[in-house]
Amino acid sequence: MTDVLMAILVAGFTSGALYALATVGLSLVWGSMGMLNMAHAAMLTLGGYAAFTVIISLGLPIAIGFAGAILVGAAAGAILYFAIVRNLLKNDKSTFEANVMIATVGIGIALENAILLTYGGQPLKQPVSIAGAFRLGPLTLPWQNLLIIAVVVIMMVVVSLALGRTRMGRAIRATAQNRDAAQLMGVAVNRVYLQVLMLSGALAGICGVMVSSMTQLSPPLGNDPMLKAFIMCVVAGLGNLPGAVAAALGLALLESFVQYALGARWGFPSLLFVVIAVLIWRPSGLFGRAEIRRM
Amino acid sequence: MTDTRSMSRSAKTDLAISLVLIAAAIALPFMIDSRYILGQIVLALFYATIASQWNLLFGFSGIFSLAQMAIFAFGGYATAMFCFYFGWNVWAALVPGALGAALFSLVVGLACLRLTGVYVALLTLAIAQTMYLLIVTDTECFVMVGSVCRQFTGGAVGFARFGDLGTRALLRAQWLVGNYAIIAVLFAVTMVFTYAIVKSPIGLAFRALKDNPGYAVARGVNRFQAQLLVFGISAFFTGLAGGFYAAHFQAIGPGVLSMSQLMFIIAIVVVGGVGTFWGPLVGTVVLVLADELMRESGEFRTLGLGLIIALSVVLMPKGLVGRFGDLVRWLARKRTGPTGSKPAVSNIVQSPAAAGK
Repeated sequence: MTDVLMAILVAGFTSGALYALATVGLSLVWGSMGMLNMAHAAMLTLGGYAAFTVIISLGLPIAIGFAGAILVGAAAGAILYFAIVRNLLKNDKSTFEANVMIATVGIGIALENAILLTYGGQPLKQPVSIAGAFRLGPLTLPWQNLLIIAVVVIMMVVVSLALGRTRMGRAIRATAQNRDAAQLMGVAVNRVYLQVLMLSGALAGICGVMVSSMTQLSPPLGNDPMLKAFIMCVVAGLGNLPGAVAAALGLALLESFVQYALGARWGFPSLLFVVIAVLIWRPSGLFGRAEIRRM
Repeated sequence: MTDTRSMSRSAKTDLAISLVLIAAAIALPFMIDSRYILGQIVLALFYATIASQWNLLFGFSGIFSLAQMAIFAFGGYATAMFCFYFGWNVWAALVPGALGAALFSLVVGLACLRLTGVYVALLTLAIAQTMYLLIVTDTECFVMVGSVCRQFTGGAVGFARFGDLGTRALLRAQWLVGNYAIIAVLFAVTMVFTYAIVKSPIGLAFRALKDNPGYAVARGVNRFQAQLLVFGISAFFTGLAGGFYAAHFQAIGPGVLSMSQLMFIIAIVVVGGVGTFWGPLVGTVVLVLADELMRESGEFRTLGLGLIIALSVVLMPKGLVGRFGDLVRWLARKRTGPTGSKPAVSNIVQSPAAAGK
């Protein structure tokens, strides 16, 4: 019994860590610019393939593969800003929210298809993986899961330091609180947007490497974690980072329990029931700011 | 905003466009011999019907629902299941199927419509995905057909051979023309109802809620009720189209729930013009043609579609219909342009007509 329980907990914590990373990337962009990035899933996939290309095709060490995923993710965020977001911001503010969502849906599907055309549809093995397991008495912890949890914790610390302690982070937080006031105080809001998208892209890149190391590389790789990250964002309230992490861990644990108890096909529907129940009780999410989105 | 003169003028334009379209729709089967092309036109009419209903939701009422294809699939599945399990005639199952879809949408609406904006989009997307996953992973035997096990939802295969619209028995070789006529009438009826809704007081309430929810609510519009109503209405027609779709192809499977189908509908509305009455039709014509052209280059189809969506949002936020309106206004201004202060006046005269669209 403890074996099963441990297995569920390890699986839950690992996927929770992955979801948390995906959720934070989304939530960051939403919180600071009111933009729901539907292309985040494709950016995740892009990161995974970037690491694969650097390590396998170019034959460089794994650390550089990691860096490659981060750089490619950040570059994708920058391109997204220059090609789409900057142009949409020029239009009427009230239409931005819907327009940017539709546009990123288009970008996401195009990017996923471009990856499919470049690498083919057959699943590839992500080289960033460690075999073996760590044994502690009756417990078995695969190194791979420990690596993922460690990387995610490091990234969380990095993000919270970047947001809390740096000039850039202060500008991002100011813009998130009140865009107009921040602009009047001399914050270059457009640059903040660019930074946020690049940061979120970099997080997506790392997340993609980690997700593909658990499964395999395939073009629709990012869609499943992204859909769950959406749900977690909604439960936590969009734009709330600590809430997003808490919701991601909680829901991932719930998912792995339900998958064990009722079978894999009920994992996702159970998350949906939770989110609907939460939203009926608190329409702007568990930790969401109450004034937003309520009419 | 609109004075009666410009209202009647825009109504006249709409009437003229409809008459031309009806004439073209009647002439079409006489001009086209190719079965393939007529089949694609029938498919395009389905797309136009679904897109017009999504436009009613998003363009006129501001509800960003991503469950459109789920509701369409619900209508199709319900119709197919009534026929398959109870042996009903397809025609008898269509309206119950559409009502089932409307009921489903009300359940979805009750869960989602307390929220606004992206929250609605995320939740409806999750609901549609859940529906897809539950259908595809359904492996439990519900009934045995011969020696084959059949799942309650049809599983990954879906339903087939549950009946058709009766045109094959009636018209034999010309059955496709019969189906074309039926679907064209479905589209026309849907458009007439949509027009009536958009121009009615309740349609004004939908638009008021979209343009300024706070003000609309303050003026006594019940947001929850109005949005639930538009959700149900659009779901009824979407579900009806789903039933006809299942009957026309004599099959329905989880494929209609795929992301690319939903994207295609969104692309149609965005390219045509969000919140314009004729936008979905224009978008359907343009995108189906583009799709046929890209079919030559096969694998780049989805890539091209995605880029078309993104580019048209950036380059023409009001779609082709909106751009056409800009062109008409620009021409009108150019005509009256050279005489000193006229442009400003013509601008003022023109703007109510533009707002009345």
